[in-house]
Amino acid sequence: MEKLIKELQVKVVEVLNLIDVQPDDIKVDNQLVGGDLGIDSIDVLEMVIMIEKDYGVKIDNRELGVKVFATLGTLAEYIHKSSPELPN
Amino acid sequence: MTDVRVYISGMGIISPLGKGIPKTWEAIQKSLTGIRPLTLFSTASNQPLPVGEAAGPIEDESLPRTHQLARLAADQAMAKSKETPDAVVMGVTTGGMLTTEALLKKKARDPKLFCLHATGSVAEDIARRYRCTGPALTVSTACASGAAAIKIALEMLRSGSVKRVLAGGADSLCRLTYYGFNSLQLVDPESARPFDQNRRGMSVAEGAAMLLLVANEPHNAVAEILGGGLSCDAYHPATPHPRGQGALAAMQAAIEDAGISVADIDYINLHGTGTLDNDISEARAIDTLYDRQKPLMSSVKGAFGHSLAAAGAIEAVVCAISISNGLVPATVGCRHPDPDLKLEPVIQPTQRPIGTVLSNSFGFGGNNAAVVYSACGKHKPNRTCAQTQPMAILSSACVTGAGNANQTMKAIAAGKTCAGMLGIEEISANLSAGDVRRLKRFPRLALSLAIAAHENSGESDDPSAVFLGTGWGALSETSDFLTRLFETDEQFPSPIDFIGSVHNAAAGQIAMRFQATGANITMTGGDYSFEQALMAAGLLSNSIDDTFLVIGADESHPQLSRLFDRSASGSAILSDGGGALCLKAGPSASGFTIQPVFFESRENNPEVISSLIQRLERPQQINDRYGVILAGFPAASRREGEMQLQTLLAITGFNQPVIDYRKLTGEFASASAVAAVMAVKFLHDGQIPEALCKDKSVELGAKGALIIGTGDFITAMEVMPQ
Repeated sequence: MEKLIKELQVKVVEVLNLIDVQPDDIKVDNQLVGGDLGIDSIDVLEMVIMIEKDYGVKIDNRELGVKVFATLGTLAEYIHKSSPELPN
Repeated sequence: MTDVRVYISGMGIISPLGKGIPKTWEAIQKSLTGIRPLTLFSTASNQPLPVGEAAGPIEDESLPRTHQLARLAADQAMAKSKETPDAVVMGVTTGGMLTTEALLKKKARDPKLFCLHATGSVAEDIARRYRCTGPALTVSTACASGAAAIKIALEMLRSGSVKRVLAGGADSLCRLTYYGFNSLQLVDPESARPFDQNRRGMSVAEGAAMLLLVANEPHNAVAEILGGGLSCDAYHPATPHPRGQGALAAMQAAIEDAGISVADIDYINLHGTGTLDNDISEARAIDTLYDRQKPLMSSVKGAFGHSLAAAGAIEAVVCAISISNGLVPATVGCRHPDPDLKLEPVIQPTQRPIGTVLSNSFGFGGNNAAVVYSACGKHKPNRTCAQTQPMAILSSACVTGAGNANQTMKAIAAGKTCAGMLGIEEISANLSAGDVRRLKRFPRLALSLAIAAHENSGESDDPSAVFLGTGWGALSETSDFLTRLFETDEQFPSPIDFIGSVHNAAAGQIAMRFQATGANITMTGGDYSFEQALMAAGLLSNSIDDTFLVIGADESHPQLSRLFDRSASGSAILSDGGGALCLKAGPSASGFTIQPVFFESRENNPEVISSLIQRLERPQQINDRYGVILAGFPAASRREGEMQLQTLLAITGFNQPVIDYRKLTGEFASASAVAAVMAVKFLHDGQIPEALCKDKSVELGAKGALIIGTGDFITAMEVMPQ
């Protein structure tokens, strides 16, 4: 799980081109969207595609998205639970 | 001062519901839907999404589908007309994209194959088809394009400069929009259900509709156009304002422009895409507009799908059918109206006398347009129309391969070329990290120019309207979107690149930066895009009280520029940049003015240079009026352009400096915007630099500068001292 979190921190910064944000700045339990990181709804959609592409996990509706993208921790948990590519 | 009234004297349509007015009317009466699973191109998924495909165009690599759709609609609109239109104004967002995608997929590299890629090539094709020698203008304001084109055509007619305009919109389905909207989770997998409580999105569609608009009532008028309103949310690149502030402003502006009151409206043709956010936003706006009883309302996008730039024009035809036949279309797809919206859309086709209709079109970039149609003579307009006037120049800015305005003007004063491309960091020098995180080269150029021009104006108030001309728009975003789409077997398109690829995304960013909630127009007319933006600004400036920005910008892209832009294909080095002017309507206390004065095509127009001279030599001879000509010769038509200029010089005997500005700016579509900034600088200095006039400086005195565009079109803009 820790490995997945580290990996996601790097990917989020890279995919969203978060200038001035270091991977470690994305804290596991902090608000991911709409907080200090400047991540918004468009970024969420870009992350949705990245997660489907890299982990084979679909997040295709808004209600689910709100829950999954609450924090980096909830995101990692959801990927971990749903990914056919990660050992459970 | 005139009192021009504008009528629809002919119209044509092709949509997923069929070709022609009778078929469309019949489909509306029966509440049919044209939305079915996609068949136009193969997809990675076994279950293609529902879309609105039009039957009619054939597979033909030499003429892209959008062009074919536009021709099929325009032929109907022109069927009973013997006279040529004076101008063509079209809303187009995808242009030749469907053909381009197939070519890029098979790695075609011959620029000739891409010659109809440009959005502007659709209006040019239509103009050629009916031997129209006047302006062929292209509005690319996303899903508001068709309605915005009708508003611009309305203003052209009101200005008295033209009597007959063929206006409308066309867009074909393509992979970019099919996958793009789906990546934003804006597509309803079951088909669009506008205003339904279970709605999940739109259905992307295609089609075209064209209207022959004429000044003063013809014997065969179908309906009258009373007015139009434009606004910008200045809120978000892709999501409408949650309370519908921009939508409300556009509707209010249209109603005011029409000279009627909200109570006069019998039917509102809603934008109603079926996305969660659009329908909430529009419903809130309507709720604010009407404190008492609302008129009948419906959205036809569950029947036609959302044909993007064509939608506003298709819905103009629907409104005209509604008025002529006393028929309110049903909101096809809406079975359980969402109670939260408090909207009560019409669910069944309803016979009712309809005198006046308000039609809404909203798009990405927060672009909003609303148009009021009515039965002929139903309302008497209380507005007087006036010719367009010169606009006061408050300040300017430019970017070229040489750097910002100071660096560019320094190089030009020394007679050095500014050709080339600045690094992305240099372009972004006046932008914050937060500004640019999601912006690639083109929007950065445009935003940076807008900020610089505004800063130079010294105005504390922000500009309220934006007019942007671009030949090619966001090439980096478009290229990156398609590259990733193809590389991932059409599975993982980038939503950020899709939003950024829309031609008007940059103007939307500028609006957000300045909270510019007035008109927000992007014109895409190839080498004449800046001229088109200036023309749109001139037509709309009377209703803008504050300052506004007119910008021309283009990015060069290492692959796409050489494929798309014939002038870049043959250039040794790629160049890009642009220019921006901060303007105000009417005279200003000091400084200079700019005005577009001529725009005609050379095709079917052997007298084009005489026609230009006739326009320019009133009231003074050219030698008395202008101290310099800045002439633009796009490389692809340089020889012809030089001959056109020689003819002009020979007939007029113009004996003052002529500056071949593309040699200084480099080759890019909106180079004329930099020429405009050069003209302002020369007038400011009162002289032309020595290096540009055979080593002797030339005093301008009280004379102005004439900026001429040559090639497929002959254009002229003048920058004058007041």
